[in-house]
Amino acid sequence: MSAKRKEEKAQEKLYDLQYGVKKKKGIGQYILAVILTIYTIIVALPVVLVFISAFTDEKTLASEGFSYFPSKWSLSGFNAVLRYGHQLIVSYGVTILVTLGGTLIGLLCMSLFAYALSRRDFRLRGFLAIYAMIPMLFNGGQLSGYIVFTSMYGLKDSLWLLMLPICCTTMNIIILRTYIQNSVPEELMDSAKIDGAGEWRTFFQITLPLMKPTLAAVGFMMATTYWNDWQNALLYIDSNNKKPLQLLLVNIQKSIETLLNAGNIPASALAAMQGTIPQYSATMATVVMVVGPIIILYPFFQKYFAKGLTMGSVKG
Amino acid sequence: MTRKENILHFFRNTWKHRVHVLMALPTFLIMFFFLYVPMGGLVMAFKNFNYRDGIWGSPWNGIQNFKFLTASKSIFTNMTSNTLMYYVIFTLLGTFLNVLLAICIDQLVFKKLGATLQSILIIPIFISYAAVQFLVYAFLSTDTGLINHLLGTRIRFYSEAGYWPTILTIVKMWNSVGYGSVLYMSVLAGVDMQLYEAAQIDGANKWKQIKHITIPSLIPMITVMLLLSVGNIMRSDTGLFYQVTRNSGTLVRTTQVIDSYVLNQILGSSNFGFTAAASFFQSIVGLILIIIANFVVRKIEPENALF
Repeated sequence: MSAKRKEEKAQEKLYDLQYGVKKKKGIGQYILAVILTIYTIIVALPVVLVFISAFTDEKTLASEGFSYFPSKWSLSGFNAVLRYGHQLIVSYGVTILVTLGGTLIGLLCMSLFAYALSRRDFRLRGFLAIYAMIPMLFNGGQLSGYIVFTSMYGLKDSLWLLMLPICCTTMNIIILRTYIQNSVPEELMDSAKIDGAGEWRTFFQITLPLMKPTLAAVGFMMATTYWNDWQNALLYIDSNNKKPLQLLLVNIQKSIETLLNAGNIPASALAAMQGTIPQYSATMATVVMVVGPIIILYPFFQKYFAKGLTMGSVKG
Repeated sequence: MTRKENILHFFRNTWKHRVHVLMALPTFLIMFFFLYVPMGGLVMAFKNFNYRDGIWGSPWNGIQNFKFLTASKSIFTNMTSNTLMYYVIFTLLGTFLNVLLAICIDQLVFKKLGATLQSILIIPIFISYAAVQFLVYAFLSTDTGLINHLLGTRIRFYSEAGYWPTILTIVKMWNSVGYGSVLYMSVLAGVDMQLYEAAQIDGANKWKQIKHITIPSLIPMITVMLLLSVGNIMRSDTGLFYQVTRNSGTLVRTTQVIDSYVLNQILGSSNFGFTAAASFFQSIVGLILIIIANFVVRKIEPENALF
């Protein structure tokens, strides 16, 4: 499939060269380009607003509201973030640990599973394929999972609960298996075995390296899911030293709520609290710190997206 | 081959492939403990659950829990109808916009521009709802929000339920359309260019080409995606309904879905009987619907069926 694909791509390029001149860049094309560009700018604007607000002076924000053109810029938001910096560093550590741990465990387990599934004369594979398929059609839901994980396994407040429940998913297994079947040449693996390599060695030295594009794509999607997971953290994590970044965001929102709901707080108390209660620009600065790494890393993985994620053959 | 021989052969084959069994084991176990056991946990819908006895030890109480559902009818019907309403809006509008965007970018002759725009459009999916809610707040806040500021009004968005179907739809589309179109684009990239050339020679204009080549080539993928989504008809993007609405009590009428209700109940550790019954209902309806949908697709176009 990969060879075929490459050939197609080459042919397409040839076509473009041959017919490129003929392809009309009519007025319609320019209108389409303008509409798409405007749409993209509209989609990007909310993200831009967060970045601008993070650098806006707190008093300006409170009096003039959120604006793309604030009258006064300031770094005070980030300064305030540094004040509760210790928790931020701990949370970064937790999130990075969970993201890397979950993604690596998941990728390794699922690749092994997908490899076993793609062995043609393996008779158990029919059963295993159905076994992996069922969770996509039916699942126990939040409540049942919560009770089982906390009261049966006693894993409340454990980082394992942030990693294991979402590390093996049907969709990713299907994507990996389809890739092994279509893009890793069987002959290569056979010849490795003839040369005396065992199944494990064949998998780790031949199959796994050849799966790089799909591993990158699936891995990045998994990493994003882990990075962005707030729900499991909210359900399971209690102690501060296990709080991931997303839970920190949720907590910030809750504390603003408490402040606003408290109603008429005396001015002196407000002034005293300024240091500890996260304010608008500080909040937005935190959002920037949480969202930033993903947006920075994304371009490096983007090239694998179309290649690695095509699940055209969901049925395999 | 007799049945006995067949079984013997099966065991011999499995023994021969014992390495592969071992390779499949980690995923098998993880899925068993974290996906299959919770499925069994659904029996708590028929039990009077208490923490001391756990799921299996708690006493049975028949369909008592489901009587709660009918007793608190208004909560249940409200969250079920909201769940369904948002499912229909998000699925129909989402699929339409995904396909539209994919076709637009695919048709664009300026390939470099198309690729750049696409990579910007994907970014929102990487922002968690815990962060998205601050973005939305920047626009909707009564005192400091951009919209109230620009309009010179003081609309209290966070206490007016009527606005939220529109707001949530916009947020959801903003979040998901760019990424959703990637799949359809990868299908379009695989369409044989010669088809378009031939159509052009036959005198078909752009619209006709889109109608007769582009859209038909997307139908299988659209079917598969719709089929997969049917199983999740009773589930929602919890973050959208819990975070973006700031879990505001005054908005419940239009924003409470089953998932956000269940999450609130777990965090409040209150009446698990009702919640368990609602969860059970949620899982079973999803299963039944995906089986029916698959059956229908199988009758019409066996190629596109899931199983």
